[in-house]
Amino acid sequence: MLKAYMILSILLFSIGVVGLISRRNIIVIYMSIELLLNAVNLSLIAISADMADSSAQVMSLIIIAIAASEAALFMSLFVVLFRNRASLDANLFDILGNKHA
Amino acid sequence: MSNEFIALAVPALLLFSAIFILLFGFSSHYTKNRGYFITLATLFIAFIISANGVGTKYSILILPDIFNSMVVYDTFSATFISLFLLGGFLTLAIAKSFVDKTNFFTHESFVLLLFSLFGMVVLTMANELLTAFIALEIASMSVYILVGLNKNSLKASEAFFKYLLLGSFSASFYLLGMMLIYAQAKSTNLDVIAEYILHTELHSQLLIIAGSMLIMITIMFKIAAVPFGAWVLDVYEGASLPITAYMAGVFKIAIFAFVLRLFLKDYITFDAIYDPLIIGGALVTMFVGSLLAVIQQSVKKMLAASSVVHSGYILIAFASIGEATSSAASAIMFYLFAYFISAIGAFGVLSYISKGSDKAINYDDLDGLAKTRPIIAAALTIFMLSLAGFPSTIGFIGKFYILTSAIEAGYTFLAFFGVLSAFVSIYYYFKVVMHLYFKEAGHVEVHYGYKVSLAFIVLSGVVVLWGGVGTSLLLDIPGINALNELSRYSIESLGF
Repeated sequence: MLKAYMILSILLFSIGVVGLISRRNIIVIYMSIELLLNAVNLSLIAISADMADSSAQVMSLIIIAIAASEAALFMSLFVVLFRNRASLDANLFDILGNKHA
Repeated sequence: MSNEFIALAVPALLLFSAIFILLFGFSSHYTKNRGYFITLATLFIAFIISANGVGTKYSILILPDIFNSMVVYDTFSATFISLFLLGGFLTLAIAKSFVDKTNFFTHESFVLLLFSLFGMVVLTMANELLTAFIALEIASMSVYILVGLNKNSLKASEAFFKYLLLGSFSASFYLLGMMLIYAQAKSTNLDVIAEYILHTELHSQLLIIAGSMLIMITIMFKIAAVPFGAWVLDVYEGASLPITAYMAGVFKIAIFAFVLRLFLKDYITFDAIYDPLIIGGALVTMFVGSLLAVIQQSVKKMLAASSVVHSGYILIAFASIGEATSSAASAIMFYLFAYFISAIGAFGVLSYISKGSDKAINYDDLDGLAKTRPIIAAALTIFMLSLAGFPSTIGFIGKFYILTSAIEAGYTFLAFFGVLSAFVSIYYYFKVVMHLYFKEAGHVEVHYGYKVSLAFIVLSGVVVLWGGVGTSLLLDIPGINALNELSRYSIESLGF
C-alpha cells in the first residue's frame, strides 16, 4: 500500500515541477508549488501510517502552516506585479536580465 | 549569565521587540527615528547578551523536556548568533540615510529585519531538520519581502517575484529530502540520524543518501552556488543596497552555519560519495562566478557576482572536510568572519555613497572619489583588498586557511584553482581602486551622509586590517589568534 502512495506522491511532485517550468501564468506557477508541498505531505502521511508513528503527521501539519504563509506572500506578489504591469504573464518580467536596462 | 538564559533571552528579545514595533508603528507617538533607534538598541543589547556566551566551550540542549532536544546551544551557535546580530546592527547603522530618505522603509521593515534575525538565530541552534526548515523559512520569507519593499519600482518587484518563486521551489526539495531521511532513519533529529548512519552499512541507506542530496540542492540554492544560483545577480540588483548587504553579509552566513552543523554531524560519513559533487560544484562556482564578475558594468552587480566566487572558496573547504576535519571546519569559520566584515563594509560604502537613492553605482561614479572623500575611498580600498585576499587584511588570512586545509586534505588542484580565481578577482576588485585613485572626477559632487554611518564604515575597515595583522604581541585586542581560537572552540563544541 505504501508503494502506491509513494508512486502517487512522486507523480504529483513531477507534475508540479513540470507545471512550474512550463507554465507562464504566475497563479498557475503558484499552484504548482502548492502541488510540490502537498506531494510531500501525502507521502509523509503514508509513511506515518505505515510505520505507526504519528510524528510525520505533525510534520505535515507544520508544512501546511508553512504553505499557508507562502500563500500569503504569493497573494501580495500577485497584487504588486499586477499593479505594475497589469498582467501576470511571467515572460513580461525580464528587465533585470537585460544588460542595458 | 547562564548559557540557557542567553539562549532563550536573545530570540525572545528579538521577537518581543519586533512585536512591539509592529504595534507601536500604529500609535501617534511613532516616528521613523524612534523605530530605527529601538531596533538598533535591541540589536545592540542582544549582541551584548550573546557575546557573553562566546569564548568557552560547552554544548547544552535547551529545555529538552519542552523542545524534545530540537534546539541546542553551544559555542558554535553562540559565535554565529553574535555575528548575525553584529551584522544586522552594522547594516542598519550604515544605512541611516537610506532609512531616512526612502518612504517605503516603514516600521514593518524594522519588524521584518528583526523577524529574519530571529529566524537565523533559531536556524543556528536547530538540531533537527524540521526546526531548521521552519527557521529557514522565517528568515527567508522576511528577506523575500525586504527585497520587494519598494513596491513601485519595477526592478524591486521583479526581484521579489524571482526570489520568491525560486526560493519556494527549492524549499520543496528540502522537504522531499527530509521526508526520505525520515522514511529510513525514523527520525529527523540530527543526533539520531548520525547514530543511525554509523550503525548501518553504507549501501543499505540509499534513502538517506538521496535525501541528503535533495537537501543539498536547497542549500546550494540559498548560498548561490552555480548550478542553482541563477537568481543571485537579478535579486541583488533589484534589491536596495542595504538589503543586498544584509543578504550577502548576514543571511548567507546563517545558511553556512547550518550547513556546517549538518556536515559535521551527519554528512561526514558519506564523504566519499559527496566529495566529487562538491569539488565539481566548487570548480564551476568559482569559474562562472569569476566570469560573471569580470563582465559586470556596475559595482553592485560585480560585488554580487563576486559573492558567488566566495561561496566557491568555502565549498573548497567543504570538500576537504572529510580528510582534514578540524582544520577545514575552522577555516570555514574564519573565512566566514573575514567575508562577513568585508562584504558588510563594501556594500555599506556603496549604500553610503548612493545616499539612499535607487541608482545602480557604476564604476564611473567612483571616479576621483579619493580627492573629494579620501576617508571613504581608503575604506573602500581596504574592503576591496580584503575581498581580493591581499596580505595584511583579514581576507588573506581567510583564504590562506582555506587553501591550506585543501592541501592538507590532498586536493592540491582545488587549492590551485582557488589561487587562480583569486588572481582573476584582482582584476575586478582593483578596477574599483583604479577608478577611485587614478581617474579624474567627471562631475564635482560632494556627498554628505551621516557622520555616524561613516564612523561605522571606518570601524569595519579597522577590523579588517586588525584581523590581518593583529596579534596580542602588539596590543591586547582580539586579533588573528583570538579569531582562530574562537573558530576552533566553536568546532570543538560540536563534538570534533
